[in-house]
Amino acid sequence: MPARDDSRVRPPGAREQQDQADCRVPSLNSEEAVDVVIVGAGAAGAALAWSLSETRMKIVCLEQGGWMNPAEYPSTRGDWELRGFGDFALSPNSRGRPEDYPVNDSESPITISNFNAVGGSTVIYAAHFPRLHPSDFRTRTLDGVGDDWPLDYATLEPYYDENARMMGVAGLAGDPAYPPKEVPLPPVPLGKLGETLARGFNQLGWHWWPSDSAIATVEHGGRAPCVNLGPCLSGCAQGAKGSTDVTYWPAAIRRGVEVRTHCRVREISVDENDMAEGVIYYDAEGVERRLRAEVVVLACNGVGTPRLMLNSRSRNFPEGIANRSGLVGRNLMFHPYGMVQGVFDEALDGYKGPMGCCIMSQEFYETDATRGFVRGYSFEITRGMGAVGTALSGMSNGSLPWGADHHRVYADFFNRTTGMVVIGEDLPEASNRVTLDPDLCDANGIPAPKIHYRLSENSEKMLAHAVARGREVLEAAGARETSAQAPLPFAGWHLMGTARMGTDPERSVVNEWGRSHDVRNLFVVDGSIFVTSGAVNPTNTIQALALFVADQMKARLANLFD
Amino acid sequence: MSEDPQPKGLSAPQMSNFASVLDVLIPASEDGALPAAGEIGLGETICQRAEELLPVLAPALEALAARVAASKAEDFASISEAEKRPMLEAVAAEHPAFLPALLFQTFSNYYQHPRVLEGLGLEARPPHPLGYELETGDLDLLEPVRRRGALYRDC
Repeated sequence: MPARDDSRVRPPGAREQQDQADCRVPSLNSEEAVDVVIVGAGAAGAALAWSLSETRMKIVCLEQGGWMNPAEYPSTRGDWELRGFGDFALSPNSRGRPEDYPVNDSESPITISNFNAVGGSTVIYAAHFPRLHPSDFRTRTLDGVGDDWPLDYATLEPYYDENARMMGVAGLAGDPAYPPKEVPLPPVPLGKLGETLARGFNQLGWHWWPSDSAIATVEHGGRAPCVNLGPCLSGCAQGAKGSTDVTYWPAAIRRGVEVRTHCRVREISVDENDMAEGVIYYDAEGVERRLRAEVVVLACNGVGTPRLMLNSRSRNFPEGIANRSGLVGRNLMFHPYGMVQGVFDEALDGYKGPMGCCIMSQEFYETDATRGFVRGYSFEITRGMGAVGTALSGMSNGSLPWGADHHRVYADFFNRTTGMVVIGEDLPEASNRVTLDPDLCDANGIPAPKIHYRLSENSEKMLAHAVARGREVLEAAGARETSAQAPLPFAGWHLMGTARMGTDPERSVVNEWGRSHDVRNLFVVDGSIFVTSGAVNPTNTIQALALFVADQMKARLANLFD
Repeated sequence: MSEDPQPKGLSAPQMSNFASVLDVLIPASEDGALPAAGEIGLGETICQRAEELLPVLAPALEALAARVAASKAEDFASISEAEKRPMLEAVAAEHPAFLPALLFQTFSNYYQHPRVLEGLGLEARPPHPLGYELETGDLDLLEPVRRRGALYRDC
């Protein structure tokens, strides 16, 4: 079990003690009351808070992390690459910051990546910002797999546009892989690396396009323009990357939303009429507090949200709040990732530029039955690695020796290695799920999530196809050797499907506008509500959905709970 | 490089052998542009930055010292170049955790050292605040992609 050292195992009898404590919980009537409490200040919570803030309701967001200080991000120091293995590691189990909670992902070939802070995982995401395709909302109708969403691309389109303006999306209009769409800012530079790969795609006659990236390539909304630092995955010291601590939150706070940091929610309380009363949380000092709210919104990502729902047990909801369908935590989808890399003869300047954003190919996105699998995948061209990353990568794959040959081999790789990641569509399966770990707890004694996941046969075939095509394009671009790894074991950064939306209360957790079927003042707005995963990074869609849900709430304020 | 001249955990003879071991792991480049790992004080750096390595490192260095003594050499540095690698591999075989842990620290600290970065032709500075210039690239390369027309399923 790869749990971090400071994770806590619940002592024997603690569950019973907690149950007894629950019985002593006083009524929330006497506690502080707000109109809306949002749990989680990441991508979705920020977008929803900003949108709802125009109502002037009293809105409080509880976030278990704190505000990040960009001046302390790794790229400001000489040891910037190493910190990606330490306090900016992708896995909370490795990172072990006080605000992190442990995740038992020992029963999954893909481990969880997240970040707990104002901005959530957008602090460490690559800011690759594509939309879903229209077909992604109709997989059952078109391909006989998954389920259709209760809304379509056209419904979300205006919210994608609004999100592009708020997050500051760079790219190039006219991508034939999508319906026409707004792209407010000029694209990130291709660099030698992007041009080299683009020529490879052209030689094969395959689609490619400059990536949509939530990166301010010119000054935007008070954010300084990108200066090609490179390590976007450990925070953007320049402030150019669209993490929500520098996009939505400042605007929402100006309009009166309160963000309370270092507040970890333990459970949502519910009354006898199946209405959420509010939340019980631990403040920065570990003191248990209660916050009564007319509306509770969960925005804790596809693992954190089901964890909280499953931990919110009551007489009316013994299996967790809003879980009469039994689907809370089920249908967990990652995007199974692969990585294909090539070594080139010429220097590619790969250590410069946004590491996850360059160009993208969706040649194999839509279903083609002749390939032996349904649905498809995207290629995202990544930049190269820095000096340390090159050495450690060579060490871990056994290609970089120590001793007399070290420098000769290193020179062959450094600044000459690049490639792509494959993002494959993951189809929903009820057996892939999040549960509560019976033993592992966070620092407040709240049960940790446990991940149960296996790669489907369809995903395995898709990854094999993608790796073979990836090698082809790298060779067409001039790579003298290629290597591949699939699935990528550390790439569980897209967390979806665990409180899916739909019109049928027996087959979904929330309705077509994000409201729980079972608890009429409980909403979910993060990746949990995805019905299918598509084959692109989900943050843009998560935020478009949050803006859509917020608009639905505003339009129904008079009868929101009917 | 070293902020503390008194590294913790290893004796002076062990530190001396450690520096020689590092020189074997990453020797100087033939053209002299890149220094050997021990030459730039990486031993002290590793002892200070990776104290967790010491319980693995110290017994391995003791085993190495025993082999050096058995060979009648004064220290590891005075062993012939041809003998150093086999001796180090023999120690690594006896102490399986030693070499992987040491290589991680050696590679990661060596490749952030200013002299090494300069030897690689890089600027010895963190990325921020200066950043890097990057070519926009030739967007006319998109012409064949545009000519193919829409790829998405309109539904």
